[in-house]
Amino acid sequence: MMKHVLTLLAAFLIGATPVAAQDSQPLKIIVDQGVIEPLPFAVPDFVAGSSASAEYARNIARVVSADLSGTGLFREIPSNAYISQITSFSSPVQFADWKAINAEALVTGFVNVDASGKLVVQFRVYDVFAGQEMSQGLQFVGTPDGWRRMAHKVADEVYKRITGEGAYFDSRVVFVSETGPKNQREKRLAIMDYDGANVSYLTDSSSIVLAPRFSPSGSQVLYTSYESGFPRINVLDVSNVARRALEGQDGTMSFAPRFAPDGRTVVYSLTRGGNTDLYTMDINTGASQRLTNAPSIETAPSFSPDGSQIVFESDRSGTPQLYVMSSGGGEATRISFGKGRYGTPVWSPRGDYIAFTKQSKGRFHIGVMRTNGSEERLLTASFLDEGPTWAPNGRVIMFTRETAGASGASSLWSVDITGRNLRQVATNTGASDPAWSPLQN
Amino acid sequence: MGKAAEAGRTRGLDRVNTGQIISGVGHLGLIAFALFGGAFQSEPLPMEVSEVTAISSEDFALLMAQTQAPDAVANVDTPEPPEAGEAVPDLTSDTDETPVVAQPEVAEPDVPDEAPDVAELAPPEAEVTDEAPVLQPPSEEVAVLPEINPESQPRPADVIAPEAVEAPEPDVRIDDVDQQETQPDEAETVVEDEQEETARQETTTEIVTEAEEEEDAPIAPTASVRPVARPSRPVEEPAEEVVQDVPSTENSSVEDALAEALGTTQTETRPAGPPLTAGEKDALRLGVQQCWNVGSLSTDALQTIVVVAFQMTEDAKPVANSIRMVSSSGGSSSSAQQAFDAARRAIIRCGARGYDLPAEKYDQWREVEITFNPENMRIK
Repeated sequence: MMKHVLTLLAAFLIGATPVAAQDSQPLKIIVDQGVIEPLPFAVPDFVAGSSASAEYARNIARVVSADLSGTGLFREIPSNAYISQITSFSSPVQFADWKAINAEALVTGFVNVDASGKLVVQFRVYDVFAGQEMSQGLQFVGTPDGWRRMAHKVADEVYKRITGEGAYFDSRVVFVSETGPKNQREKRLAIMDYDGANVSYLTDSSSIVLAPRFSPSGSQVLYTSYESGFPRINVLDVSNVARRALEGQDGTMSFAPRFAPDGRTVVYSLTRGGNTDLYTMDINTGASQRLTNAPSIETAPSFSPDGSQIVFESDRSGTPQLYVMSSGGGEATRISFGKGRYGTPVWSPRGDYIAFTKQSKGRFHIGVMRTNGSEERLLTASFLDEGPTWAPNGRVIMFTRETAGASGASSLWSVDITGRNLRQVATNTGASDPAWSPLQN
Repeated sequence: MGKAAEAGRTRGLDRVNTGQIISGVGHLGLIAFALFGGAFQSEPLPMEVSEVTAISSEDFALLMAQTQAPDAVANVDTPEPPEAGEAVPDLTSDTDETPVVAQPEVAEPDVPDEAPDVAELAPPEAEVTDEAPVLQPPSEEVAVLPEINPESQPRPADVIAPEAVEAPEPDVRIDDVDQQETQPDEAETVVEDEQEETARQETTTEIVTEAEEEEDAPIAPTASVRPVARPSRPVEEPAEEVVQDVPSTENSSVEDALAEALGTTQTETRPAGPPLTAGEKDALRLGVQQCWNVGSLSTDALQTIVVVAFQMTEDAKPVANSIRMVSSSGGSSSSAQQAFDAARRAIIRCGARGYDLPAEKYDQWREVEITFNPENMRIK
């Protein structure tokens, strides 16, 4: 009896003892500070299935590496630091060798030209320190002359898996190619891969062209042409470069066009009787609708991704500022209140930010703000930065930078929305007015 | 009885003395750290030193010419030139050398020639046909222990059936049904047909690959040896006298009750060690956060708080395959996975040489749970 009582008492006491609780409690800490630095990665040359695919294997690995390094989020470990080589795509990876050189991510691949002449690219991404593959390997099949696109697709997958952001490498940019001196400049519409490769020209240089803009599908381009002596909006089919002027522009000046997310409606500025307002037009029927009716200048409209709102530039308050209104017109809300002039607003494809050009104290800036005007952040500063366009993932912005003086030239630059990783986009000629396409299918 | 009381007092004094000694040493250490550890030392003011040399005006002019000239070029040269693809040479010749082509006709056939580039590029679109075959999970063990020959391991049956069938005797014929071998009846009243013994082929309900097989038979020990407990104080010195003074039945019943309540014997319990000090916890936190790289995380992942738990070996290294996400908040499941991946990389990378933790308190940090909160790392 005594023993039972003692047992109960002891059980009660021990149950209440903190020592027993401590034994099962893990040590808890909170980490709220980290580092922001490029993630080291390795992309050894892909394994070639035959001698015919050896060059593709090497080149594809280099393009993948350039894509990733170009984001500023990754840092490639040079191949001369490798301890082990990837000689077989299907062999297990020696993670210790890649850990030793601090490669946090490893991309391996296999390239082969099959019997039908198709290029087959397989790849895998490894989290080296976790010692495991990140998701499953993938395979792309295409024509050999499209090897760069396949490389971009591989890089897109790697980028998505590591960062969680949307992809953007397999995309194109339409821009105005500029040649000749400043006072006699020839301008042509051109299209290229996002990284400056594979340039093609869409128009000749017989007339001035401005402000090309992709359709949501990427198959058409709107631009402003001075072919008739007045600014007119043209629409051009990218696949066969067939082009036509939009209807209903007689006796007016139309410019700053941009597609609505539905791909059928175009919003643009139209100057009639000395007053500039915003209009929309159905690209197929030519039916137009006036959105604003103010004595001030309203221009540079851009739809929100859901098509419900339009951000535009207006000088109704005395200086150019940014306003947001419903896509059907009506009352507009001013969203820019900083010192300086704001222009060329562009809604991010993710819908979270609006990019803009700002002129302040004799300098031009590319900046971003929330769609209600908060959290304004200037990303660049120079003699002349203007015309931002968003990458398909809404994380990178491309814009035009022009240098000062009579010999000043235009060039394309890109910057991350954090303001980091400012870099020039390689083009063979002077370039301005970039417009980023959606991600290709 | 008097001796027992005196022994009790002595033990009490011992405890007081030990407490005072620990406190004294702690305070002395703190004072020493404050004096010599640099807590009261201020950072020396930064000072720039420039070496100045006198140069002639010609040299200066030459220098200025050298520094100014590349300015414009530097801007152009910063980015990598485009890959030497086939398209670029085409474009150069088209742009610069054939102005005749650039006629303003709308139906100009030469300019449209460029467009098929786009059309031709479309076909290579991502026919994501299928996943590449699944590899053996690559692991360091495979590399480190090449002498383990998978062929020598007992292999499971590769025939799939709804129910597993045990391996038949080696000399039994495989058949669709199990049959017992006939034996000659001693009584010889019934004559049976001669029947050979048969058995169904060995089957299993699932395919076990060699890769999985390795996990089933781990090469490394799965449990680590618990550290040796601190030697207990010699409190039982007067054991013989206690045994003599106290009735043994009373004492044993208390001990038995304690043992029963604990569900174990007293000899198996070990002290958990004193809790970690704030400084020791900070050392671990600093050790992890210097490897927590959020630079490649998506904006969504930077909104996600993840709680990650893992085990430590006695030499303060994290057990990689014990790292798991306990919970996440503020983001989608995919962004939680990105955030967890970054956290796991941080724990493994910075723990490769072992964290700075007191070995004598192993029980306090055998299990660790870290909350990774990226709130301060978001875009400002």
